[in-house]
Amino acid sequence: MKSTKMYQQKHAFETRYRWFTGSFAWILHRVSGLALVLYLLLHIYSVSFLAKGSEAFNAVMQAYASPAFKIGEVLVWAAFLYHALNGLRVVWMDLGKGSLFHKKLFAGVFVLAGLLFVAGAYGMLRHTFGW
Amino acid sequence: MSLRHPAGSGALLWFSQRVTGVVLVLLLAIHFALQHFLGTPSSGVLDYATVSARFANPLYVAFDLVFVVLALAHGLNGVWMVTEDFFHKPWQRLVIWSTLATVGVVLLALAVVTVVPLAGQA
Repeated sequence: MKSTKMYQQKHAFETRYRWFTGSFAWILHRVSGLALVLYLLLHIYSVSFLAKGSEAFNAVMQAYASPAFKIGEVLVWAAFLYHALNGLRVVWMDLGKGSLFHKKLFAGVFVLAGLLFVAGAYGMLRHTFGW
Repeated sequence: MSLRHPAGSGALLWFSQRVTGVVLVLLLAIHFALQHFLGTPSSGVLDYATVSARFANPLYVAFDLVFVVLALAHGLNGVWMVTEDFFHKPWQRLVIWSTLATVGVVLLALAVVTVVPLAGQA
C-alpha cells in the first residue's frame, strides 16, 4: 500500500496521462486550456493600455501587428478552436450520449477545427503578409 | 471517514465549467469576428479610435464585462481543476486557491477600470 502510493507520487505524470483517443483528447484539452488562460491574462493586460490614451494603445497594437506576434495569434486561434470544439464534445459526452461515439466526435473536432483554422488564419494573416 | 475533498465535492465547479464553456464558445466567436473582420480598419490593425468608438456604446461594454467575468471564471477554474490532480496537501490547496482568486480579482478590476470610463464618451 505504501509502495503503491510512493510509486504514484514519483510517477504522477505517467500514471495519469496515457495514450488512447480519449486520453489524448483530454491532454490536448488541458494543454490548450492552460495556454488560453495565459493568453487571456496577457490580453486583458494589453487592452488595459486603452486607459493610457491613444498613443500608448496604438504603440501596443502596432507591436502586436508584427509577423512574430501574428503567428502567435494564429496559434491562439488554433488552441481556441480545439478547446472549444473538444469542449462541446466533452459536454455531449457528460450530459448526453456522446460517449457512444466519442472517437467519431474526436475526428469531427479535428476536421472542423482544421477547416475553421485555415479560414480564420487566412483572414488574420493576409494584411501582415500581403496575401 | 469522509471522502469529501476539503474544498467540497467539486460537482458544482464541474457543472459550471460546462455551462460557462458553452456560453464562451458563442461569445468568443462574436469577439473574434469583431476583432478581425467586422468593422476593423482596412490596415487590419485595430487602433484607439476604432476601439474607443466601440466602447462608447454601453452595450459593447456590458458584452465585454460579461465576457471577461466568464472567461476568467472558466479559465481559473480550469487551472484549479488541473492543480487538483497534482497538489493534495491542504496548505498547497490554500496557496493555489488564494493565488488564482487574487489573479481573477485583480484582472477583473483592471478590465473594469479600463472599459467602464469609455462608456458614453463620444
